[in-house]
Amino acid sequence: MPESIPASLVIDTLKDTFQQARGGARREPLGWVLSVPDTHQRTVLAALDKERALRVLTCATEDEAAAIGAGLYIGGEPFVLMIQHAGLYASVNTLRGVGLDGQVPLFYMIGLLSREKDKDPRESRHSMVRYCEPLLDTFGIPHARLEGPDDVGRIPEYYRLAQQRKGPAAVLVGLETI
Amino acid sequence: MKPEEVLEAIAAVRGDAICVPTMTTSPAWRDITGDALSVSCVGFMGGASSLGLGLALARPERRVLVFDGDGSLLMQLGSLATIAGARPRNLVHLLFKNGVYHTSGAQETPGGLSVDFAAMARAAGYRGVHVVDDLAELKRLLPKLLVEEGPLFVELHTGLAGKTPMTAGMGMPFRQQVERLRGQLTSA
Repeated sequence: MPESIPASLVIDTLKDTFQQARGGARREPLGWVLSVPDTHQRTVLAALDKERALRVLTCATEDEAAAIGAGLYIGGEPFVLMIQHAGLYASVNTLRGVGLDGQVPLFYMIGLLSREKDKDPRESRHSMVRYCEPLLDTFGIPHARLEGPDDVGRIPEYYRLAQQRKGPAAVLVGLETI
Repeated sequence: MKPEEVLEAIAAVRGDAICVPTMTTSPAWRDITGDALSVSCVGFMGGASSLGLGLALARPERRVLVFDGDGSLLMQLGSLATIAGARPRNLVHLLFKNGVYHTSGAQETPGGLSVDFAAMARAAGYRGVHVVDDLAELKRLLPKLLVEEGPLFVELHTGLAGKTPMTAGMGMPFRQQVERLRGQLTSA
């Protein structure tokens, strides 16, 4: 059964991931969180308000977030796109143009709002939950589920995978963070 | 003003500023400069302003000049608020306003030339906003645009460019432009 992940664990993992991406160098900000606010990850976003090592930029759309990420990548800055599944659907053309054709390593944390705790997301009665993994599969984008605190190692793993393959990679936040 | 004249005036003074052309400014900018400090927004129309914002945040020591189009900006109009909220001091957002989707056949944009983008940028919270319809006036303004605290927005009233990406080609693929500019910026 999936479990909720504490916000502090997500934030500490992102900080470690970005510091590693910088070759261990400490600086502020360590990296960027490009967010179109996600209900599922709202405790993370709330905790980030007090966090100096990560800079949060709230974007009006997920299209913007992906293009801003491209600019940060070109400039050598680590970042994560923290969005909701509906935002993934809304920004498919930018995902294609920037992430696939442009080969920009877009690393996504995607909240599965309305995911039922007792169901596999692919069997959800909500289309926005059910279609998320198949859409990523259609584009050949590797993805993993964060189904509890033991899965946070997927964050640095998929961040690095995006860099290595020069393209998008995603982790899916199964339950609301706490 | 002809867009090519505007771009030539910018090229003459931009120094080491990073430039982000899109749509019909891309072929002309390629002809005028062809340099490695530019990246065209190709393949995700509407993304130039956000691409420029990311560059400006990553490289605060550099000026970043975005050459946007009115049809393009309409596709990501919310980026005005995102840019104003992020307050990048080094970003200059130049809008080439011609009232049409030139690349796809010059169909009129929603609202055409009557849309007041300068007012939108001002209301969103850009630090400085200018409207320019004369080349001499632009040449007088350009030095200020390269030093004043941003984000700055300039609505340029221009005619149609001589070339479009459809007639002149897309140029170097976006992925190659990304790696070229990244190499320039991260090895410095």
